[in-house]
Amino acid sequence: MAQPLKTVPISFKVNGQPAILEVEAGETALHAIRERLHLTGAKEGCGIGECGACTILVDGKAVNGCLMLAAQLDGTSVRTVEGLAEGESLDPIQQAFLDHHAVQCGFCTPGLLMSTVALLDQHPRPDRTTIADGLSGNLCRCTGYKQIFQAVEAAAERKRENAK
Amino acid sequence: MRSDVEYVRPSSLEETVGFLSVHGPETKPLAGGTDLLIDIRSGKCNARYIMDVTRIPELRGIAVTEEGLSVGAGATISEIARSEEVKRFAPVLWKSCLTFGSPQVRNTATIGGNIANASPSADTFPPLIVHEAVAVLAGPEGERRIPVEQSAAGPNRSNVGPRELIVRFILKPAEGGFSEFLKIGRRKALAIARVSMAVLAEKDAGCAISFIRFCLGSCTPVACRIREVEDFLLGKIPDETVVAEGGRLAAEKMIEISGRRPTTIYKEQAVKGLFIRLLYPMVKL
Repeated sequence: MAQPLKTVPISFKVNGQPAILEVEAGETALHAIRERLHLTGAKEGCGIGECGACTILVDGKAVNGCLMLAAQLDGTSVRTVEGLAEGESLDPIQQAFLDHHAVQCGFCTPGLLMSTVALLDQHPRPDRTTIADGLSGNLCRCTGYKQIFQAVEAAAERKRENAK
Repeated sequence: MRSDVEYVRPSSLEETVGFLSVHGPETKPLAGGTDLLIDIRSGKCNARYIMDVTRIPELRGIAVTEEGLSVGAGATISEIARSEEVKRFAPVLWKSCLTFGSPQVRNTATIGGNIANASPSADTFPPLIVHEAVAVLAGPEGERRIPVEQSAAGPNRSNVGPRELIVRFILKPAEGGFSEFLKIGRRKALAIARVSMAVLAEKDAGCAISFIRFCLGSCTPVACRIREVEDFLLGKIPDETVVAEGGRLAAEKMIEISGRRPTTIYKEQAVKGLFIRLLYPMVKL
């Protein structure tokens, strides 16, 4: 019979690297990633799954880090915004956000980048409706969405070219 | 963050039921967590045990069986939206899953959690009700079945007992015909629905409505079929007048059920309008 635990040992992968942690039973995945692993790219905006600033990929799927327990990460593979760039070389999505001025204050950007990763994995050639749906779980309150749409379209194009 | 809570992750249904039979009243099952984590954060969840049911194989899967379309309680909204079986045999449910929450929420939220949480605004209630879904529950006394329409006792109060867990749903396959799910919220994605509606209907050779199930959600304490609207529409050829009258009747019943409240002035018009939008394609069919 499974034993209830106040402190839960978990082991999982973050951006390809193994992570072994002891987390509190009621701790969120976002808290563990930010405060224990010091990966502070994912942000807590609303804390209730509305803003998407905490978006991370768990086993390839975009999820709200604030709506998941850290204990649930056990055995999974997590990708955060810190895992996008390779050394000094930005991911095409990051570069496109930069090129198209899709970043103003930047608070929503890590979440938007991770939602874009998930979106382009599923839809390498997204139309505007698909982009709108793919990013509908992420709020931006200052940049404006026009530049974000342009960045996603440009990133999709660049990724397709790179894949050739 | 509370420090007195304990996490438990059973790996089988048997183990889950065993734990619930002892600790059920002080346990909250964690499925997608999209409602529960909010309650943990706000302090509303005072359960001693959080029981992670995301890795129980018996809760997974979507399949067409002899009994009907079986949808595991642990199926995520994304999995349902991707399912060809659901698209074909439960089109109203399929449509509701396309607009549920946000992509992030759909990737974790489960249909079982949506029903067990019993929010009046839960998007999957009206579709499951028009598909005449039955919830299969596992408990210490074995298996029990209840129609989804009777599974909510009131707003956020479920008839699923504290020692029980929803294992799966069985839906009546409904191929062909007209199906739709619509909702109104403050923003397209994520907003909690203020008014939601589901319909499943068919027309006969003479264009009269020969079969209809209509369910209202969000604006009543629990989602419910409005039989007066169904009876009114049955046998009628849906033209603009009939559809408008159906909407008026739906709004009237909504007020009768929910009572006059400060929001009624808005919701009465919203129900009428959404009903017309819902049924209008039938006029053109």
